[in-house]
Amino acid sequence: MSNVLNYAASSIFDKYAILQSRVDLMMKIGKDALGLKFDDIVSATKGKIDGREILLAGTNNYLGLTFDDDCMKAAKNAVDKHGTGTTGSRVANGSYNEHIQLEKALAEHLKMESCVVFTTGYQTNLAAISGLAGDNDVIFMDADAHACVIDGTRLTSSSTIRFRHNNPEDLDKRLKRQGDISDGHALVVIEGMYSMFGDIAPVDEFVDVTHRHGGYLYIDEAHSYGVFGPTGCGIAEEQGVLDKIDFISGTFSKSLASVGGFCASRHKEFEILRKVMRPYMFTASATPSNICAALMAVEKVKEGHHLRKNLKTRSLQLHSGLSEMGYDICADASPVIAVRRPNEAVAAMEWNWLIENGVYVNLAVPPGTPQSSSLLRISLSAAHTEMDINTILKAFSNLKSNQQELMARMSARLAK
Amino acid sequence: MSKPTRKEIHNKICELLKPYNPKNHPIKESSGIMTDLEVDSVAVFDLVMGLEDFYDISIPMELISDIRTVGELSIAIKELIE
Repeated sequence: MSNVLNYAASSIFDKYAILQSRVDLMMKIGKDALGLKFDDIVSATKGKIDGREILLAGTNNYLGLTFDDDCMKAAKNAVDKHGTGTTGSRVANGSYNEHIQLEKALAEHLKMESCVVFTTGYQTNLAAISGLAGDNDVIFMDADAHACVIDGTRLTSSSTIRFRHNNPEDLDKRLKRQGDISDGHALVVIEGMYSMFGDIAPVDEFVDVTHRHGGYLYIDEAHSYGVFGPTGCGIAEEQGVLDKIDFISGTFSKSLASVGGFCASRHKEFEILRKVMRPYMFTASATPSNICAALMAVEKVKEGHHLRKNLKTRSLQLHSGLSEMGYDICADASPVIAVRRPNEAVAAMEWNWLIENGVYVNLAVPPGTPQSSSLLRISLSAAHTEMDINTILKAFSNLKSNQQELMARMSARLAK
Repeated sequence: MSKPTRKEIHNKICELLKPYNPKNHPIKESSGIMTDLEVDSVAVFDLVMGLEDFYDISIPMELISDIRTVGELSIAIKELIE
């Protein structure tokens, strides 16, 4: 009897009570920022919410290739030729010719010896980091690393040390403090452009520090592949150190306009990891349409100088416009422009207001953000026009001039 | 430099916790860092970097994952120093 009473008195969901109260607060203010529902997505930069057209400025569609004719045709042809799904992993069901072709295309583009493609970007870092770092190795991870990097470190039995964000001197200090790693190696994990603030890593300096200590450098170029570098390989190429990087990971779900991910290495021995990476071995491989769209997009990236040029121009336009209005922007101009807001409730209210006024950005709040910041995060696309940026700027200008009314509205909603 | 006592480590943790405790929750040995003090998971790791630098030690992230209270953190640091 007492067991029954205990069961009734508590719930398996009790541990989420604090999180639920945050969600309740957000819902009082407006929409669910982590569960927004679009009526439709009609182009790389336009969608519909509540029956109204909205400008998309938070979808990481950096090159705007999701509606590119050739990429769409490649995806459609793949369905016609190979069907809708792979129904299993590459270990069990084997690889399609297109999986291999895409790996070759990425390896050639990045000038690497080996490349493995994965079903999602998240799984890429999960698989590669946990596969590379073994019992005696030590992972040194940038403090602002993405959740998939953190989760990758949790899948291994190796130790993980965090170093201060974008700070090669701090990494140097921690590598020295660690000393000789008995029977193991250091694996240093950084990102090219960081997703929340849009700030750029000094990759060239990290190469120097890492290799001076005999370690391996792993760079996640999820947000920078396609966007930076003369041929779009990312920040390492931009800084002239592509050939010094041990491992480069990336995703298909940003510049490559699909879903999936890759990890490439200048070490041909990386191939052996296909036999150990659990998130590679025990999940279905990417669908033919995803792979073929990404394969076409790689070609677009290589020749996408005009796309990168427009993206840079639009980034500078927006960054300077918001700066002139006095907004606190977290980093220099890049395709990710994060506007720091005073707290979560204000940011949520403003995010809702922007949607009501036709602009979709991301609401980013702790613990998913560095420095416990609450952000209105904008990600730009090469498909954005000068007029689109003016629309975003106008919305942020109106947001500023309507602050009093907005805060009054928030207080009224919270008081309900 | 002589090895710090538990009390000294506790005081250092309280000092470094200040920026992450804007509501000024009272800090006790039994205080849950994320539950009672409402420090988010990323900020806990930032706090740990400060402790690593002050005591010149490495505190692996996997060790921190098992720590819930201020007291448990000070015990872990004392053990690493010794």
